[in-house]
Amino acid sequence: MDSILTLLIFFPFIAGMFGFMIDQKSIRAYGISVAFIEFALSLVLWFGFDSQNPGFQFIEQFPLIPQYGISYFLGVDGISLFLVILSTFMTLIALIGLTIEKDVKNLIISILFLEMTMVGVFVSLDVIIFYVFWELSLVPMLYIIGAWGAKLRIYAAIKFFLYTFAGSLIMLVGILYMAYLYYQATGVWSFAIPDWQLLVVPFHIQLWLFAAFFIGFAIKVPMFPFHTWLPYAHGQAPTIGSVILAAVLLKMGTYGFVRFSLPMFPDASIYFITPIAVIAIIMVIYTAMIAYAQEDMKQVIAYSSISHMGIIIIGTFAMNAEGITGSIFLMLSHGIVSGALFMLVGNIYDRRHTKLMSEFGGLAKVMPKYATIFGIMLMASVGLPLTIGFVGEFLSLIGFYKVSPTMTFLAGTGIILGAVYMLSLYKKSFFGELTNEKNKNLKDLNKMELASLIPLVLLVAYLGIYPKPVLNPIDNSVKNMIELMEKKSITKEAKELIKKANSIEEAK
Amino acid sequence: MEKYVYLTLFAPLAGSLFAAMFGMSKKNLITGIVTSALLFVSLFSSLMLLGYVDEEHIVKVNLFDWISAGNFDVSFGFIADQVSVIMMVTVTTVSALVHVYSIGYMDHDEGFNRFFSYLSAFVFSMLVLVMSDNFLGLFIGWEGVGLCSWLLIGFWYYKKDLPREIYPAISPSWAANEAFIMNRIADLGMLIGLFLIYWNVGSLNYDVVFKNIPNVDISIVVLIGIFLFIGAMGKSAQFPLHTWLADAMEGPTPVSALIHAATMVTAGVYLVVRANEVFSLIPNVGMFIASLGAFVAVFAATMALVNNDLKKIIAYSTLSQLGYMFVAAGLGAYWVALFHLMTHAFFKSLLFLGAGNVMHAMNDELNIKKMGGLYSKMKWTAILMIIASLALAGIYPFAGFFSKDKILEVAFSEHAYILWFMLWIGAGLTAFYSFRLIMLVFFGEERYKRFGFHPHEAYAFMLWAMAPLGVLAVISGFFEHSFKEYVTAILPDYEAHIEPHIVGYVLIALTLTMALSGILFAVYKYSRGGFSKKWEETWIYKLLFNQYYIPQLYEKFITKPYAELSKIAWKDIDLKIVDSTVDFIATTLYDAGDKSRVIQSGNLSKMLRWMAIGLIVLLIAAII
Amino acid sequence: MITLTHYMVLSGILFSIGMLGVIRRKNLLMLFFSTEIMLNAVNLGFVAVSKYIGDLSGQMFAFFIIAVAASEVAVGLGLLVLWYKRKQTIDLDSLQSMKG
Repeated sequence: MDSILTLLIFFPFIAGMFGFMIDQKSIRAYGISVAFIEFALSLVLWFGFDSQNPGFQFIEQFPLIPQYGISYFLGVDGISLFLVILSTFMTLIALIGLTIEKDVKNLIISILFLEMTMVGVFVSLDVIIFYVFWELSLVPMLYIIGAWGAKLRIYAAIKFFLYTFAGSLIMLVGILYMAYLYYQATGVWSFAIPDWQLLVVPFHIQLWLFAAFFIGFAIKVPMFPFHTWLPYAHGQAPTIGSVILAAVLLKMGTYGFVRFSLPMFPDASIYFITPIAVIAIIMVIYTAMIAYAQEDMKQVIAYSSISHMGIIIIGTFAMNAEGITGSIFLMLSHGIVSGALFMLVGNIYDRRHTKLMSEFGGLAKVMPKYATIFGIMLMASVGLPLTIGFVGEFLSLIGFYKVSPTMTFLAGTGIILGAVYMLSLYKKSFFGELTNEKNKNLKDLNKMELASLIPLVLLVAYLGIYPKPVLNPIDNSVKNMIELMEKKSITKEAKELIKKANSIEEAK
Repeated sequence: MEKYVYLTLFAPLAGSLFAAMFGMSKKNLITGIVTSALLFVSLFSSLMLLGYVDEEHIVKVNLFDWISAGNFDVSFGFIADQVSVIMMVTVTTVSALVHVYSIGYMDHDEGFNRFFSYLSAFVFSMLVLVMSDNFLGLFIGWEGVGLCSWLLIGFWYYKKDLPREIYPAISPSWAANEAFIMNRIADLGMLIGLFLIYWNVGSLNYDVVFKNIPNVDISIVVLIGIFLFIGAMGKSAQFPLHTWLADAMEGPTPVSALIHAATMVTAGVYLVVRANEVFSLIPNVGMFIASLGAFVAVFAATMALVNNDLKKIIAYSTLSQLGYMFVAAGLGAYWVALFHLMTHAFFKSLLFLGAGNVMHAMNDELNIKKMGGLYSKMKWTAILMIIASLALAGIYPFAGFFSKDKILEVAFSEHAYILWFMLWIGAGLTAFYSFRLIMLVFFGEERYKRFGFHPHEAYAFMLWAMAPLGVLAVISGFFEHSFKEYVTAILPDYEAHIEPHIVGYVLIALTLTMALSGILFAVYKYSRGGFSKKWEETWIYKLLFNQYYIPQLYEKFITKPYAELSKIAWKDIDLKIVDSTVDFIATTLYDAGDKSRVIQSGNLSKMLRWMAIGLIVLLIAAII
Repeated sequence: MITLTHYMVLSGILFSIGMLGVIRRKNLLMLFFSTEIMLNAVNLGFVAVSKYIGDLSGQMFAFFIIAVAASEVAVGLGLLVLWYKRKQTIDLDSLQSMKG
């Protein structure tokens, strides 16, 4: 168990390298087995994880450049554990549901490389290592969109790459400055996240550093007005690209907020609550409206992702355990649900080679299984209780309510608008008369597609009914983090807000 | 006793899952039978609980933890106390009978198995709603019934949108979406109410909340009351969120009977009754609830007066009766509200099931102007529907008389004379439209012959399924006293004080006269061919017939602008402003590079010049 | 009395003349002359300053520059002659074969 994290990171990479030697015909089976072993390894990680311990576990550390305190430093806590499992799980599911035939070998190897970078981002505790994986994750994705995408794929891929890359460069400046600050304060160089989290940064510097990190994360999330790369990326990417992009890559941004912004710059985070909440509310309402106006199924789901990410942001900045735990849970649930929805759109695209809703209508008649699973995912997406979507959304909103009731109300309109665009999508595509001749002989889901979707359905129901095994470790780590934030915050407002956000009103 | 709680709750779920297994295959009678049987199991165990529960014996079970994060902790806890047991019995009785009825009603439908799966799932959700011991559990049920209602309204999803003259085009799927979205609006209000409760009390469990709510600042309690009631308004279709209920009649008729008359729509009333300890602290909000209720009671009744759609008339009548319940609940007479809820569930579902028989007989025709004289063809349906209508109109000794009259008494004794007057008018209107319907459908000229219908009576077992409801519609009123004793163990006791006694009797007489005159007027008028064509030309008829133009207003001022605005947000703002800005930055950089590429001409003398300029610039920079 | 300023001014004037030559001239040979003038302007400055502050490293630098300039001219003129033999011109604008 000692070096399981290293194994988790590099197993897909090495397996990917060996993948070059595998025959084109058996590469799919190979890819799925690798992803499955990786997923099993991440489950082993979960079983070995002590959920009572809020700190980092499975720590591995050895120096790389000792002069500058850069080391190979890995570890997981409750916050990152499930994101790792989400990455391995969604990669597995996406590979099972893969239908592309063209150059499938290169595609699968790219996916395995991508898996390495995703796991790497979530388990790195050294900022340089984190940054390396963060940037590396762009490369396979660039390739996936650029090589297997639709018509505008080059434009979309380059936009995705340059946009997120520009953001992370600004973050890199922040990282270097933060390291310098740490050196100034302590006399030793260190890039370890736990060290940085203990450093108290003067307030006005916090503001600048927060802004630098914010741009990097906000573009990744993506937050309004940095979101426009996402619809293109989703619109052009092949199904598997969209699934992983929506399920995992976007979560890196929100994970960054929880891992970096909040504990390192608590005062700045609290200082910026209002503007960030306003942006998040714009994301929720504005993109929900745009989603309603879409004609393309996939674009609806792409914009709905942005809308849901708004709720995650709201929860993250609630500054209390309810909200932050909720937002992390929502990251997981959104990963599963949006991943599933993209796969479902992929299924119909494989059959009809179009995603326009006007081409469909009455699909429920010819494809009842498909319609049922789509319906379940739709309900999870709009946050129906007892599905996975409700838990996170509810906790995020209840958490932020303590900070600002009005803004929570505005963000809460997302549950109405979400129902509006999702139900209208469902009505346009699945209900009504079956008029289009081309749809009359569509085949329902086949075994392979069911094999990729049914685990998601089960998970949606199981974690909706019994989220405790997941919520518990997250909650412990989050509480730990909030304690830290309260201790190290320097402004009076911040201290008061954290205290207020975490306490029930005293009854008279 | 715990086992009965589990049995009541999970028998319908088991039925639903069983039927779901056959969901995509051909009609299989077994699904109908198994779900109905399991519903009777549920009914039986809730009756056992009814007998068991008293002041000392309240059954509580705790299944397992659901959500816990930070200080927040909610588990799946269920409680069988007097209020929830009453609801359980009502829900299971009506649903068991509706299940049996549906076996006949859905006989020829290809979605037979699916239907029973949904219907049982609905019952399960409804039971979660009424049995939960915390607000979040109630919310699960709340959303669950919403989901099942969506599924069941849109049951015939394959029907296309039918354009209507002035309304938006309608289809079952459209109506389903409308219902779901409107309920979501109210659910947001309810969620805000839950947030308020949690952050002020620290828990969502009824016990804790009700114990601590008196210590909470009164302005917060007012807010809690308002937001919870907003939630109730959506489910119970109170103005201005009422339009979905009439459109929900697109669903199969047993659904209308069970969901949109007897159970789900009364969830709002149940919420107010359940949270009585909150609402009794804030009589002003209660007064508002009562006023809105009285308004809806008359408002909906007027719309029912002129409508020609068999089911819509009954739907408006449901709306109006819900208004009555809210009057009682708002004025603090919680047990009266609950009592009317129960009796209403019996006779209204009976009425709907009768309407279902008529629809079957008439090949799904809904226009009552095309019916008439059906009494000779379907005697038993007619008798049952007349019983239900008498109960609805509040004629002694039918159930409606006891419960509705009580509400009027409450209004009077609270000195809310305006409310009393409105309800009194409402009673007359109710009697009139109920018998207008009866007269137009069952008596008078046999107009159906002109349209080539061949009506026939429904299956006998369907009538038998309706019979218990008929009996209950007659006798349930007589249980008033035992009912009151039973529920006031936990609900505040309310006794109308009208002094002197004689005034009370006068009031009863007045109400009864009003109802009777409504009936007699309807019978008199429609036995002579009804109103003249001229009446249909008047503006007031048009206003009522078009539901006060409210659906059009919503269409014109909410739905359409929202769609327009969305288009603008996408095409103009997102693509033309936000995205263009990004692309502009990118193209500017690209163009700048393209332009400055000229510098690299390869001409040595030009490069030397650039070098010299660079040197000078650097020198100057060094000096500065 | 000739002070350091005079030397520096002279050096500056020479440098400017050289630089103008570099900018204006199209003949490669003239360019070489111009660069030589610039180098010598710098040499003059080095020597003058070295004398003024009594440090010999300036003069050493000047020698180095002279040596480097001489070798550079040797190589450069060789190339120039080769170029002239090929193209029959030593006009600068003819050297554009690497245009991007």
